[in-house]
Amino acid sequence: MDTQPVVILGIESSCDDTSAAVITNGIIRSNIVSSQSVHEKYGGVVPELASRAHQQNIVPVVDTAIKEAGYTPADISAIAFTRGPGLLGSLLVGTSFTKGMAMALNIPMVEVNHLQAHVLAHFIKDDENDTNQPTFPFLCLLVSGGHSQIVLVRSHSDMEIIGTTIDDAAGEAFDKCAKVMDLGYPGGPVIDKLAKEGNADAFQFNKPRIEGFNYSFSGLKTSFLYFLRDRMKENSNFIEENKEDLCASLQRTIIEILMSKFNKAVKETGVEEIAVAGGVSANSGLRTALEQYAAKHKKKLFVPPFGYTTDNAAMIAITGYFKYLRKDFSSHDIAPLARMPF
Amino acid sequence: MQFTVHNVDELESVAKKMVENTGPHTVWAFYGEMGAGKTTLIQRICKALGVTQQVSSPTFNLINEYDAGAHKMVYHFDYYRLNDIDEAFNIGTLEYVDSGHLCLIEWPEKAESLLPENRRNVTITVEGDTKRQIKISDYD
Repeated sequence: MDTQPVVILGIESSCDDTSAAVITNGIIRSNIVSSQSVHEKYGGVVPELASRAHQQNIVPVVDTAIKEAGYTPADISAIAFTRGPGLLGSLLVGTSFTKGMAMALNIPMVEVNHLQAHVLAHFIKDDENDTNQPTFPFLCLLVSGGHSQIVLVRSHSDMEIIGTTIDDAAGEAFDKCAKVMDLGYPGGPVIDKLAKEGNADAFQFNKPRIEGFNYSFSGLKTSFLYFLRDRMKENSNFIEENKEDLCASLQRTIIEILMSKFNKAVKETGVEEIAVAGGVSANSGLRTALEQYAAKHKKKLFVPPFGYTTDNAAMIAITGYFKYLRKDFSSHDIAPLARMPF
Repeated sequence: MQFTVHNVDELESVAKKMVENTGPHTVWAFYGEMGAGKTTLIQRICKALGVTQQVSSPTFNLINEYDAGAHKMVYHFDYYRLNDIDEAFNIGTLEYVDSGHLCLIEWPEKAESLLPENRRNVTITVEGDTKRQIKISDYD
């Protein structure tokens, strides 16, 4: 019997952050993101938001992930990497690096879809006794700065996007409305904080009417913008005086939009378990709404730890782990895909 | 070219006219304040170009790529969250602009000097809650 542990190195470089992680038999060993203190050790600066920066980040980040996991490169069974979707220049760095390292170590490489990885982050185990995992089929609400999707998950390898945004993502609605209120960018966390002190029913904003399980947030952004413009004409201190109520009302509206389609999808698919993923799942209002929904409808809810909500390589490694078990490997002539079929 | 649209439904015919009179340039820069309808107009333009997949805001992703058939690509940029021109350079702006494929760019003012002068400028001015003035000028 093969008792060798399966050690997967995951590499994520689809957008802003370079990240590397190590997962052994499904259990997390390390998860390093470039914006952390890795650079201090190497004496470099952290360039923000530049795909060419991945080239500077990738060696220290991978090196740190392997060392922190207590391994040497020779211990790695396979390398999982984000093939897409994302920014082509950024994906190229991760893909090329993976090819070189896999070739040097003579181990397989495994391509991963970034969005599927967000969903499978729920299967990362903290330790051997961690059994808190969803059972199939379940529905995952994937909400971030770039995505707002409802995913029907039938197995580790069989997922379907049944609803998606037709314009802006939910996280973008938070961020852009925050910008209008001069709360900075990204402003999602600031809105969440101020919303706790405000009256969520103080103001009403338009909600979209679109078919199926799809989302739209562009209209809300415009309606919020014009509402503020009109009120500012009457009172130039309107935003300052009503900041908390504005944030609370806006957050309530975004959450209601998210939950209404999610509820519809849960009912029509008949799933018993639900999950949330992506950066917006850190929003406390959304977490509360999901918890209340799960309690009321007797569904089991899975909320990921904060470190697995934003872009990270642990989710790439766990997805790679399941593909490794199926021997679903990639060949060395593989190219990254800015658009990648789900 | 100049158009006055009174509501969002009229954008489809504007987009069709823009595509029919496509002009000599492959870089189209879309100016207009937040909520003016830059992404919405680009959605209609992509539809007129034959793009069948979902056209959504690239604010977070920075660049969305669409397939317009017959080996033609459409690159949809959004510089909104960029801090300076270096970042526009580092995401590969010049490679995309030189590709010969159509580049539709939101918030071009963030990196104007990186973009070719030989471009189409599209300026959307808000004149009412749903009324917009759309001015299109091709550099010559």
